[in-house]
Amino acid sequence: MNNIRKWLTELERRGVPGGGFAGQPGGSYRPDATAWAALALESWKECLPQVAAARDRLVASQLKDGRVAIDPTYPQAFWPTAEAILLWHGSPPHQSSLKRAVDFLLRTSGVHYRWKRDDVVGHDTSIKGWPWIEKTHSWVEPTAMNLLALELTGQSGHPRAQEARRMLLNRQLESGGWNYGNTKTYCLELLPSMESTGLALHALAEHLEENKVRSSLAYLEAEMPKTRTPLWLGWSLLGMSAWKRRPREAEEWITESLERQKDYGSYDTAWIALLLLAAQSTAGVIYALQRPETVEAS
Amino acid sequence: MTQNPFNNWLLRLFIKLTLRAGSGVFTGVPLHRLIRSEGWQEDVFIGKAAGYEDDLAAVIMAGFERLGVTSESLSGKHVLLKPNLVETSSAKSFCINTHPRVLHATIVALRRLGVARVTIGEGAGHRRDSMILLEQSGLIEVMKETGAAFVDLNYSEVCAVPNAGGITSLRQLMLPRIVKEADWVISMAKLKTHHWAGVTLAMKNLYGVVPGAYYGWPKNVLHVVGLQQSIYDVAATVGAHFAIVDGIIGMEGDGPILGEPKRAGVVVMGRNLPAVDATCSRIMGIDPAWIFHLAACPFFLGPIDEGEILQRGEPIDAVKTEFRLLEHIHVQRFLLKRRTKTLSGKKETYGLFTY
Repeated sequence: MNNIRKWLTELERRGVPGGGFAGQPGGSYRPDATAWAALALESWKECLPQVAAARDRLVASQLKDGRVAIDPTYPQAFWPTAEAILLWHGSPPHQSSLKRAVDFLLRTSGVHYRWKRDDVVGHDTSIKGWPWIEKTHSWVEPTAMNLLALELTGQSGHPRAQEARRMLLNRQLESGGWNYGNTKTYCLELLPSMESTGLALHALAEHLEENKVRSSLAYLEAEMPKTRTPLWLGWSLLGMSAWKRRPREAEEWITESLERQKDYGSYDTAWIALLLLAAQSTAGVIYALQRPETVEAS
Repeated sequence: MTQNPFNNWLLRLFIKLTLRAGSGVFTGVPLHRLIRSEGWQEDVFIGKAAGYEDDLAAVIMAGFERLGVTSESLSGKHVLLKPNLVETSSAKSFCINTHPRVLHATIVALRRLGVARVTIGEGAGHRRDSMILLEQSGLIEVMKETGAAFVDLNYSEVCAVPNAGGITSLRQLMLPRIVKEADWVISMAKLKTHHWAGVTLAMKNLYGVVPGAYYGWPKNVLHVVGLQQSIYDVAATVGAHFAIVDGIIGMEGDGPILGEPKRAGVVVMGRNLPAVDATCSRIMGIDPAWIFHLAACPFFLGPIDEGEILQRGEPIDAVKTEFRLLEHIHVQRFLLKRRTKTLSGKKETYGLFTY
């Protein structure tokens, strides 16, 4: 891939004192940016001491109950927990942290309530997944990310994972694709998002027959050739790769996306890292990060 | 006030806010308004524009002039523009998102007034990939033309700010630092109906200031503590200095995304957001006193009564055009009944409120 060195160096430059990475050059430590940057660097076998320091920094960020929050003063935003699990996976010194994080996810869910067919929203609000933020409803992306984390740690058969996959299927738009998690409001179907679709497809890969998600695969196949923005392209490529439908032009598109920072301004660290990881993960994230260790949930 | 559906709620709110003020918890709200003898008086400018090809910079300059916004007050300043970038839809972006030509015109006008730095900031509620919004809204072209930078407020560094509204249970809001560091924040909204809030204008647009990394997508925490109440709290806490509403082509019906385009041919501007929103509502044929978050404003945030808003530029009657409201959308049903004066007299309940 062209210019890969430039972008790996850019990630490295975003490291912060004490380990970990910032969201932008000169910024402060951010847990999700840390996990993604370290995953990307590790996948390219670069800056391994920085990767090890990132793992340790996330351990220092972990709260007693196992969660990793975006900010220790704001523990309700626990969505980076899944990303920390991806990074800790396969690292023997971090297995205790990983286990506590997995246990946290397995005993946590969003707020759910009974759904009636004539409700304003179109999805079944009773099926459990995970929220972005504690004490709110479950949405597509955190649910899919947590499913990836559970899959990687050998928990894909857990009842919570099974229910979460059912939730994702329920949130699939009739015309194909996923969005943040509302299928319909007042009987009108909402618009899909490639990033949510790629993530959901990735989380469901190898657990479903293709005909259940055919319209969503078709949506991504139609949209990917004209999309170069980082999250939409990155997750679309990972999702399609997990379904063994990675386009031949993937690396070329990733390069184009990274170069667009000339116009858009500097991407978030997590977005650069996602693209670099997508470039390496030709069969999806799970395959790329697969290591022998699994974790027993208590 | 006798016909206002929120009288009981407003009375409780008044007591609550007054107690909070007395206890010293309350910050950032012009409490003196409560005790001043004269009523509110805020200026709102309505400018006409037939289309996005018009000389919009001239319209916005005229608005600044009529509202007393001068180079003396803005020269050398850093201004943050907060557009309404909601959804990716190339086909309907012109009626969903604040139009890029309105942003372009505003940047041109601000630079004529000597503004040193303009930043565009948005924390989109539905789309984590803000770059796709820049592309599909056409804003990326404005950035290239003007050199204005974009900041994704969903992932910006934050600071904790006491909740200056005090209606919801949130004691503080995590806000992007840039919002508090900029000299001027302009809410650049779109004139639209909304299926949860009734309307989405300058106040509701500030929802996009609140970072998704802390509140979720789409701003889950704010919905849980009460959509209307949190619109008020966020607007009070952000404390935007100015509002410009793109009503050249707005949206009616099932807004803010799935409605239909509605041409109103106006740009509405002002320093006081409730007054701007009240004026916009009237242009849309909607009684602002029946919008929950606007009904709460006259205590502390700003006037919504027509008699307390000095209309500059075009009069409301010259530009008024009824935006379609849908019977099957709960909040719009009540606004529609108010418009058509078809209240049955029997009590009906929507959320916390009884009509």
